[in-house]
Amino acid sequence: MLAGGTDLIPSMRQKLFEPQYVLDLRHIAELKGIHPQPGNGVEIGALTTLNAIEHSEFLRRHYPVLTEAAGTVASPVLRNMGTIGGNICLDTRCLWYNQSLSWRKACGFCIKKDGDLCHVAPGGTKCWAVFSGDTPPALLCLNAEVEIASPSGVRRIPLCEFYTGAGNDYRKLQPDELLTRVFLPEASADYRGVYRKLRIRGSIDYPLAGVAVVLKKSNRHVSDARLAITAVNPAPTLVKGAAQALEGEVVDEQVAEAIGELAAKTAKPLTTSALTPEYRREMIRVFTKRAILAAASD
Amino acid sequence: MKKELIELKVNGRTRELAIEPSKLLLDVLREDLQLTGSKRGCDDSSCGACTVLVDGTPMFSCTLLAASCQGQEITTVEGVSEHGSLAAIQKAYGDWGGAQCGYCTPGFMMTVKHLLSVNPHPSDEQIRGALSGNLCRCTGYSQMYEAIKAAIEAEEKGLAAL
Amino acid sequence: MGGRDARLTAGRMPVLQNRKMSDFSVIGKPVAMVDAAGKTTGAGKYTDDLSVPGMLIGKILHSPYPHARLKRVDTSRAKALDGVVAVVTGGDAPKTYGILPVGHDETALAVDKVRYVGDNVACVAAVDEATAEKALEWVNVQYEVLPAYFDPEESMKAETDLIHEGKPHNIEKDYHHVFGDPDKAFGEADYVAEGRFIANEVTHAAMEPHSVLASFELDPHTGKLGRLTVWSSTQVPYYLQHKLSLVLDMPMSQIRVIKPLVGGGFGGKSEVIPLEIIAAVAARSARAPVKITYTREEVFWAHRGRPRTIIDLKTGVQNDGRITAVKARVVQDGGAYCSYGVVTILYSGALLGALYDIPNIQFDGYRVLTNKPACGAMRGHGTVNVRFAFESQLDEISAKLGIDPAEIRRRNLLKPPCVTVNGLRVQSYGLPECIDKVVERSGWKQRKGKLGKARGLGIGCSHYVSGAANSIIRSDMPHSTVNIKIDRDGGVVVYTGASEIGQGSDTMTAQIAAEVLGCSLSRVKIVAADTDLTPIDIGSYSSRVTFMAGNATLRAAEEVRKQIASAAARRMNCAAEDLVLRDDSVFHKNYAGKSVRATPVETTVSGRVEGQILRGSLQQKRKEEGPRDLMTFEEAVVAAIDFHGALTGTGSYAPPPEARGGKHKGAGVGPSPAYSYSAQVAEVSVDEDTGEVTVHKVWASHDCGRALNPVAVEGQIIGSVWMGLGQALQEEMIWKDGMLMNPGLLEYRSPSSAESPEIEAIIVESIDPEGPFGAKECSEGSLAATIPAIANAIYDAVGVRLREAPFTPERVLAALRAKKQAKTINMTEGVDPTAPTRFREHGGSLWFRGKGPQRHPLDPARGETTAEVGGDD
Repeated sequence: MLAGGTDLIPSMRQKLFEPQYVLDLRHIAELKGIHPQPGNGVEIGALTTLNAIEHSEFLRRHYPVLTEAAGTVASPVLRNMGTIGGNICLDTRCLWYNQSLSWRKACGFCIKKDGDLCHVAPGGTKCWAVFSGDTPPALLCLNAEVEIASPSGVRRIPLCEFYTGAGNDYRKLQPDELLTRVFLPEASADYRGVYRKLRIRGSIDYPLAGVAVVLKKSNRHVSDARLAITAVNPAPTLVKGAAQALEGEVVDEQVAEAIGELAAKTAKPLTTSALTPEYRREMIRVFTKRAILAAASD
Repeated sequence: MKKELIELKVNGRTRELAIEPSKLLLDVLREDLQLTGSKRGCDDSSCGACTVLVDGTPMFSCTLLAASCQGQEITTVEGVSEHGSLAAIQKAYGDWGGAQCGYCTPGFMMTVKHLLSVNPHPSDEQIRGALSGNLCRCTGYSQMYEAIKAAIEAEEKGLAAL
Repeated sequence: MGGRDARLTAGRMPVLQNRKMSDFSVIGKPVAMVDAAGKTTGAGKYTDDLSVPGMLIGKILHSPYPHARLKRVDTSRAKALDGVVAVVTGGDAPKTYGILPVGHDETALAVDKVRYVGDNVACVAAVDEATAEKALEWVNVQYEVLPAYFDPEESMKAETDLIHEGKPHNIEKDYHHVFGDPDKAFGEADYVAEGRFIANEVTHAAMEPHSVLASFELDPHTGKLGRLTVWSSTQVPYYLQHKLSLVLDMPMSQIRVIKPLVGGGFGGKSEVIPLEIIAAVAARSARAPVKITYTREEVFWAHRGRPRTIIDLKTGVQNDGRITAVKARVVQDGGAYCSYGVVTILYSGALLGALYDIPNIQFDGYRVLTNKPACGAMRGHGTVNVRFAFESQLDEISAKLGIDPAEIRRRNLLKPPCVTVNGLRVQSYGLPECIDKVVERSGWKQRKGKLGKARGLGIGCSHYVSGAANSIIRSDMPHSTVNIKIDRDGGVVVYTGASEIGQGSDTMTAQIAAEVLGCSLSRVKIVAADTDLTPIDIGSYSSRVTFMAGNATLRAAEEVRKQIASAAARRMNCAAEDLVLRDDSVFHKNYAGKSVRATPVETTVSGRVEGQILRGSLQQKRKEEGPRDLMTFEEAVVAAIDFHGALTGTGSYAPPPEARGGKHKGAGVGPSPAYSYSAQVAEVSVDEDTGEVTVHKVWASHDCGRALNPVAVEGQIIGSVWMGLGQALQEEMIWKDGMLMNPGLLEYRSPSSAESPEIEAIIVESIDPEGPFGAKECSEGSLAATIPAIANAIYDAVGVRLREAPFTPERVLAALRAKKQAKTINMTEGVDPTAPTRFREHGGSLWFRGKGPQRHPLDPARGETTAEVGGDD
């Protein structure tokens, strides 16, 4: 199934996928658009482009962490093509996997495709390919839900239950299923939100580490917060305990630092990507600290 | 793979083509329509040398199936020249050194054309941002910014003369 | 030949040099490239844009092993596939070749061994790409795997399983030069700095992937395959013609190489690349035209980029900052073939000279073979990495001695004209002015040290050759020859072998011809880089074109100018010397009549002289009354044709003997008729928590002799600085056991517009006595100064010295942590960027030690590729 094609088509060229048929969804109008549901949050069609999300005034006002994250995806032209649904379903990535057939042949393939070995965690049987989407951590912070349609009907699940945490079989989506809509609840609206992305090049790059944070304050004290990280684990991950640790606090350097440590512990970066794992973990710590300070600033 | 008949509207003309359904728009433009202005520079949708406008929006033709573009208006670099002469942005890229080897230039033409159509007076920051999806290896981009500003000025003078 | 050229040069050039800027009507003006419209409209054709009837598509099978013996290559199944026309292997063209006469170690396709992952094994020519790709999977290859060498310092210890026969310890070449008495000078120095610097491997990443189209004709007399035409994305069509002739065993005269538009080279197309020979071999076997265009991954395998270089550098100085001695041990990780390697290692030593006045130099250079794609020439060939080390160390010295970094450079200037201790002749020398300009423009004196926390300024200088004084194939023959023909309506056609690759070669040629002939630029048409049509030019590399092809153009145009002037002088009853050719007119120098046509770049050419062009002077004579003092260019041309017969001219250029260097072994590399100079100041800030470096601005001054086309010169300066910036901060080929981890533009990160800083290009004109109108190179020299300027700015900002490039955030952060002795975490996997000692590989498993492809019984690869494991690995 092909929406924007920005992930699938390069992968097809590398023979990571050799589908018999490609179902082109680009022109399904019903699955495009940002539809506020007064009192009930907002519904976003899975085929809505990242560019449309980045420039949506409604989302910018009420769900700023999402527009900020969408605006960092790849490059402007790719954001014209790539969709929110595609970004959520983005295949996990690894330097040993996202390579041409002849390259992979030369290294003996890997667990994720055609082989039985993991190059980044030798000896293991688990695939560690890393989830590298920018918008899912923001969506996780917003308690987003996704609608999944199949011939047998439509179901709706929280996004945090969509990912498996494995690198190869990374999402819970059956071959006959399609992610059709994303819902952001009303309760998540109007949080302050910040997304911070580590990349070497100022554009085009996938994240090498990413941090999304949303936060609400009352009288300088945090009343609610959520924190999610990306590009350092096989799934975008809500940092457990972050909300509790922040709740009731007046955010200062120390508080932010502590949350940074917490996030860094949640991160399990490996040599799936450029830059060293230790550095990427360290950046989760630094970026978390900064994101929290920025989100809490007046 | 068996070929299928499709209709593509490219640079204002509708063309009927028999192509494999899996064929990429870039390959159809270059091989079936001989529109070789759009280039292939990478294999991982990163460089932007193949950028075309699809219904006015810049997209990578190497990342689109041609068959999926039926019913849409495709504009390639060959469709940028106006009435057989250089468009202001094409002239300006030449005058200001915006093109050196020229291989990335068609992609930039499309991106800039789109930028100026949605934002006739972009700030430096906006220009920089808009160009950040196309890679150039020769110019360091600086002279492109000059060219874009010169083209805007030329367009305005042209309009003032009307 | 050289002697004659030198005399010509000595006798005539100063007249031109002394002319004021206003004396020129075409050069010195910012003009659009003559081929710009083709590029902005998409009408211009690059090699991959071409197709000919009956053309087949070629695809190459690459080695999955870094080092293996070929035991058997069975192509029978592939050949049987419907749509496959030919499958060729090493045996189809076993002759060795290489760009250097001392480095003939490549074959088109592997004959006995493969030497890197990606080495070329077989090629299929088929009716379309899909068929060719499918057929590759049916080529059955048996390999005997050999131990492989990935780290140059390990490779130098090798006793067995050498990469090439006859290269003990896998050393391609080593040189040991001593000039002056370095040991004594170090003994007497007030301060000696020592350190190891590493610059990791980078590649050209030109936007156009290499492409070639090869087509044979049938010979009408023999009925067999006859002439070969090759269209190729090359910087060196004549070298390609020569190597094709060698490998295919055909006379050069039977081979025509045409260079269409080239989408960037930077050195990556400056030698014969495997696909060029392979396509010709496949076309010969298929008896049909074959086109091969590399995928981006194949471009990375073809490589020929800048080698990873380990530099152990020692500099001795007096307390006043005067450099007394330099010692450099340079090890280059050259990859599996020689390529330009011998030249690269020599440049890294030779260009220690000619920038500053250094009386004592010791150089020990090792070019080492490893089982990785071959490194070759890349922008700033050989000098860039050593310059990074040198300028960084000079910065350390200036800090140690308490001398301003700009000032210490001023204290070590050459006093030209001079010949350096290692035999390089320096005449024009704009370095002092370059330093002054960047110091002034950047506000160095007022701003340095006052930019606030973690923000700083750094300076670096560099230089480069304006072409090598000795060509690759040593001879006294001209390096460039240019022919000019003038048509009866005043149209000028210049035939030059020089290769336009985006740098403005054609435009430079047209400008020089137009200036000398006094005609408008639009009259001049350039026919370039077609070995059948154009006289020989050795190619676009080592920044030689403006200086050498430019001089040849100038001489050819002067020959034509003389003929026009003498005929016009007869008509005007005056001496030819008294005539001025300018702005499409020929007039007496005292002519004060109506204003001469003032617009220098006229876009229309009349194409007629009074409607009677073909009747020549008969018509004119009838119309004329008495002597005149002004003729149009067309009239003068007709008069000249009438008087002399055909109106043509030829010019050539060979570097003068005085510029060709010393006598020691390896002295041939480094000498140039002229050197360009560059000084740069970079302003950076460093994020101390993340190690991220932001370059805010670079001021780059460059002495290009004379700027023939300022917009093009600025474009080359900015482009060089920008490419240096990429190498300084983010570009790096990442290896794991011979596997390139980032063979694509997504993971090999050349900068985007988002993080590219403002670069202020400042042109300095030193007016070289031998350059065409005083011009020197402007396309490469600036690159080398950028990396140390940024390194020095980082030091100024946060006090850490980065000794390993690129300065990725992890390296910068590790250095910052080391300095603060704060919580040190192993962020660079055991390699300390402040004191790099060993080869750093990307993490991940040791797939090669784990036997690679053959360990997986279910691998699709196993069906066709059975491998026996040999050696002790």
